[in-house]
Amino acid sequence: MNRFRPDMTGEPAVELNGVSLRYDTADEVLSDLDIRLKPGSFTFLTGASGAGKSSLLKLLYLAHAPTHGEVRLFGLQTSALKRRQLSALRRRIGVVFQDFRLLDHLTAFENVALPLRVLGQKESDYRDEVVDLLRWVGLGERMHALPRSLSGGEQQRLAIARALINKPDLLIADEPTGNVDPEMGQRIFRLFVELNRRVGTTVIIATHDLALIREFDAPVLRLQHGLIVRDVEHQPA
Amino acid sequence: MSKPTPLLPESDAREAALFFVVAALCFLAVLATLTARGTYTAAQAWSAQVEGEMTVRLSDTDRRGADEAASLIRGLDGVTRADVLSHEEMERLLEPSFGPGGIPAGVPLPLLIAVETTPDSVTTAASVTNTLTSAGYTAVAESHSDYAAEARRALGTLRVAAIGVVVLLTATAIAVIAFATHAALLARKDIVDVLHLAGAEDRFIAQLFERRFWTLGLKAGAAGSVFALAVTALIVFSAQSAGAQSQLLPQLSLDFWDFVILVVTPIAAGLAARTAAGGTVNHALKAVL
Repeated sequence: MNRFRPDMTGEPAVELNGVSLRYDTADEVLSDLDIRLKPGSFTFLTGASGAGKSSLLKLLYLAHAPTHGEVRLFGLQTSALKRRQLSALRRRIGVVFQDFRLLDHLTAFENVALPLRVLGQKESDYRDEVVDLLRWVGLGERMHALPRSLSGGEQQRLAIARALINKPDLLIADEPTGNVDPEMGQRIFRLFVELNRRVGTTVIIATHDLALIREFDAPVLRLQHGLIVRDVEHQPA
Repeated sequence: MSKPTPLLPESDAREAALFFVVAALCFLAVLATLTARGTYTAAQAWSAQVEGEMTVRLSDTDRRGADEAASLIRGLDGVTRADVLSHEEMERLLEPSFGPGGIPAGVPLPLLIAVETTPDSVTTAASVTNTLTSAGYTAVAESHSDYAAEARRALGTLRVAAIGVVVLLTATAIAVIAFATHAALLARKDIVDVLHLAGAEDRFIAQLFERRFWTLGLKAGAAGSVFALAVTALIVFSAQSAGAQSQLLPQLSLDFWDFVILVVTPIAAGLAARTAAGGTVNHALKAVL
């Protein structure tokens, strides 16, 4: 099985049609994938290391183009977009990386504000918004700290805050609990669920933490050797 | 509200090394340019000076006959000076051959007349020789410009070589800056990736690097120029102190155009750095989605 197409009406938030990906001359890491995700859906992506989870996410946050097939986000065919349009589309996507990818020379406040600085906004315009978000992720007291002085869990929450500051329509998280303890992992997952339910953000989380997946009621997409091998609409809570 | 931290971190060791390289290249470029200018100025001044000079060599006559020959020459069109060289002047002239002890007694010497003409004078070495020969003298007149031609050619070659060095140094500076920018971009790929995924347009990212390298080029160029200025001033000062400026050596001075070179060089270095940075970053970004 290579399809994940739940019943839906209207434009999907994410749509992959016959998508394959191959790096240089290596074997395909993703093969002929057909995926559709509803706007406001919450989906887990799982699979063993090397199954293609990160590669699939790279296609979704527009770090790579597929070798074959079509990736559509919010109804837009990404291969048809110009570079400026791709940049604009990226601003609708928030990404949380396993290794955080925080900028070491910027404070927590400045890391969160980065996507807004990129848009040319002034600090006076976004200051309150950034402070509120830092408080929401529990970093209100650490906003002037540099990333290296934060714990793994704090860095992860900082990366989440940065991904959310633009109020993205799609939030992609790659192993967001990989570097934190189980308790912090649950806290981070609850943040994602809260965001999904309160704001309606489409959320895709790649993880191999099955214990955490079982605690949340959401569809699970399982990849193996670049193929979808199982999808479960609703895991028991 | 404090000033936001620059998105690109402050300069690191790699930029310090690049600063030194650009400063050194600018120093050499300024020095080469000043030398090229000095050479040109020296060649012009020396040529202008010797252009209207000639020396008349008289044989088979005494001092009195030489004075009469000089009077004859003074009567020619455009001749401003015709003086028989005194024994002291002859000694000074021949000092490189005979040393400071003077000309040994018994050495047969011709009488010489130093002649100067106006730049537009029709009087040539040949016409002076003809005039004196017709008057019964055994005389040969030689124009200094004949000797100057070879020296002018040598100075011209030196000038072309200096311009070539300037061009080569400029091209090297641009290539080094482009290479260093590429290395800096690779070293900061994490920042470029984060900015890219945050939705920054290529222009925005390129401008960060362009601004950084424009400043670096400007500062390094200024440092190199100031050092070149110091070295030039030292050379000029030393030459003036020694009081022995040779007309054949490049005339290193510090006039208006030299200062223009000193000001333009850092700006050129900054622009070269900015252009190389922009091109390299844009090229690298085009390679990713």
